[in-house]
Amino acid sequence: MLLRTAPPAPKEVDLTRTYDAIVVGSGAAGGMAAHVLTEQGLEVLMLEAGKKLDIESELKSMEWPYDHPRRGEMPYDRHALTQNEYTIRNPPYAPKDSPYSSVYSYVQGWSGTDYSKNIVVNEKDHPYTGTKYAWVRARCLGGKTNIWGRLALRLSDYDFKAKSRDGFGEDWPISYADLAPFYDKVDLYLGISGHAEGLEHLPDSKFQRATRLNASEVMLRESMKRADRVLTPYRAGVTTDGLKHNKYRSRCFGRGACNRRAGGCDIHAAFDSPTGLIYPAQDTGRLTLRTNAVVREVMVDPATGKASGVAFSDAETGKSYEVKAKAVVLGASTLESTRILLLSRSAAHPKGLGNSSGHLGHNFCEHVMGPYIVGLVKDRVGKARTLDDGRPGGFYVPRFRNLKDKQPGFLRGYGFEGSGGATMMPDRAADMPGFGSSWKKSVRDHAGAFIDMGGFGEVLPRYESYVEIDPAVKDKWGVPVLRFHYTFTDNEKKMCEDMAQTAQEMFEAAGVEVLHVGKNMLTEGWSIHELGTARMGSDPKTSVLNSFQQSHDVKNLLVVDGSSHVSASCQNPTWTIMALAWRSCENLADQLRKGDL
Amino acid sequence: MKLDRREILKLAAGVALARPGLDGAEAAALPEGKFLKARELAVLDELAECILPADAHSPGARAAGVAAFLDAQLAAKDPKIPEWADERKEVREHLAAIDALARDMFAKGFLELTADQRTAVVAKAAAGEGEPKTPAEKGFKWAKEQTARAYYSSKIGIHEEMEYKGNVLLTEFVGEEAK
Repeated sequence: MLLRTAPPAPKEVDLTRTYDAIVVGSGAAGGMAAHVLTEQGLEVLMLEAGKKLDIESELKSMEWPYDHPRRGEMPYDRHALTQNEYTIRNPPYAPKDSPYSSVYSYVQGWSGTDYSKNIVVNEKDHPYTGTKYAWVRARCLGGKTNIWGRLALRLSDYDFKAKSRDGFGEDWPISYADLAPFYDKVDLYLGISGHAEGLEHLPDSKFQRATRLNASEVMLRESMKRADRVLTPYRAGVTTDGLKHNKYRSRCFGRGACNRRAGGCDIHAAFDSPTGLIYPAQDTGRLTLRTNAVVREVMVDPATGKASGVAFSDAETGKSYEVKAKAVVLGASTLESTRILLLSRSAAHPKGLGNSSGHLGHNFCEHVMGPYIVGLVKDRVGKARTLDDGRPGGFYVPRFRNLKDKQPGFLRGYGFEGSGGATMMPDRAADMPGFGSSWKKSVRDHAGAFIDMGGFGEVLPRYESYVEIDPAVKDKWGVPVLRFHYTFTDNEKKMCEDMAQTAQEMFEAAGVEVLHVGKNMLTEGWSIHELGTARMGSDPKTSVLNSFQQSHDVKNLLVVDGSSHVSASCQNPTWTIMALAWRSCENLADQLRKGDL
Repeated sequence: MKLDRREILKLAAGVALARPGLDGAEAAALPEGKFLKARELAVLDELAECILPADAHSPGARAAGVAAFLDAQLAAKDPKIPEWADERKEVREHLAAIDALARDMFAKGFLELTADQRTAVVAKAAAGEGEPKTPAEKGFKWAKEQTARAYYSSKIGIHEEMEYKGNVLLTEFVGEEAK
């Protein structure tokens, strides 16, 4: 039975007091900071730029398509950018004279977009400039965790010590052993579903019940095993067994809504920051939440050189405010945290706060996407109808390149996400030739027989890949926007060629009939895994943050989101963002208690 | 094929839905759509039923209200937005092209043909679906994509045709054990 627990009553915002810590942002990073710091006894003020949504009434996960007037599509005065629009022009992508009331990033072009139209930002209000970049942002309580893809993976020393292996970039200032205990804490506190494989390069989590593979996926797994490769059930940041310590979240009931929409789980079996982290933090009595708070600047006390608080404006009234704290923790998302630091200029920090190294904004990296494959499992054609989508995801194929081998064309590696089997509405119906009863039967017979997967590859962090503040363009709130200098290079191109080729080889080896191999790279940003721009490091000359995500220059300033990542790895970053934030915030609490700050 | 009672009833319904050609009075009495003109709506309805007909397995596009749904969607798309003005214009062209092909082949409009003749028209328009070139081929391609989208997201498409059993609370996902 599903019991919904109402969010806790909000605590009065008091801008006259000095909080122990201000947390900027309420997604995976900000939420985790709030959880850990309040757990450690600190008084925390969380500032979120967007509004608090009644998320259950937004997501309506179980609404049938035919019960919605537009079968789940958003109103027709709104527009989602197409891949072509990202290709033919540079940002900003929503011209001032756009005939649409709102213009959204490409994720609003998926199905069921009426359910996420208030979560994803309107590009008209949030412009950016420079090179092509498909930047997906969600300004609301919980940010992108409200609709994330749920794939929850660990990094390993193949990632943390990648430079030692291939010479490119920098090693992280931590190793897997430093982070493993915090990955464990995240697993146990939030719940994760998966199957232990014992891989050195993709360490296992403390898994709850794995979701099962379906017949065609098991067949592919068996085939890949013979080539010493692994296909494992989707490692989902979803609680399949439930969490006794969290009254706001239900366990997964396999409703299968996860992939029919941009995402989102209205019973919160999939992790989201509000129910997973923020509401429990509010229940400690030590978290104050202020939404509609657009932070423009981290203020510094010239006498001490330390961060003294932040300046923000109200997103609705435009009124300006300042608030003080003993420590400032940025978790506004990769790029947005960096934007705030770049905007926090002063005589002592002319290039932006914490930018004595000149590396702030640089070493920008992410995952490249594009190559994918669609195949037909002939054994499954005409088989009895199966229910294949009652789970948070299909499968994951961990990296296999540049582990023991050395690829001539590219450094680092890639993984695949995929799934097989039937969905609510048949895939590829209109692609099958014919019409009439025979075509109708063919669609029915083939509906459960398709299998597909797509690659996610590591993009190398380069100093030349960076963002800066645009000198002229401002957003709706008058805050200067980011200008991108970021383009894929030969390493990504070669890697993508290899992705398409190995995908085809793996399907063919399994006897899957290959229907289509997509070979093109998607626009930069497409993976929504932007990382770097304020990297950690041991050397203050070449990094922005130390190993506890503290600014080398301003010790009571932390950046706990993906901005801090030294390299992208090819694993989805959310779980690592939260493990790092946990570790850094425990350390911050410790330092505050000892008076070290 | 052994049919049970329910299937026989469905089959009978399917046959009944393959309507004979309209005469002039009937064509004049067709109801107007929200966006589509009466004849356009009727052509779309007939074309959708040819593409996804009622059969022994399940009801077809007509029973699923495909044409009415597509018409309502078009009506909701404000033509002040160039994308929708273009789409509205193209839809009219697609439907006119099917009617024109019927006149070329049988000297009668699509609605006035017998069921077999309509099938012949659709077969001709479908011949180039891999790479549609003529207006009728483009019209068919459009109609097939839209009919599939509307039908498979309808109550009939999801529950009766595809027999989808999900979107319910499951105690556990039934799949194969990962070995």
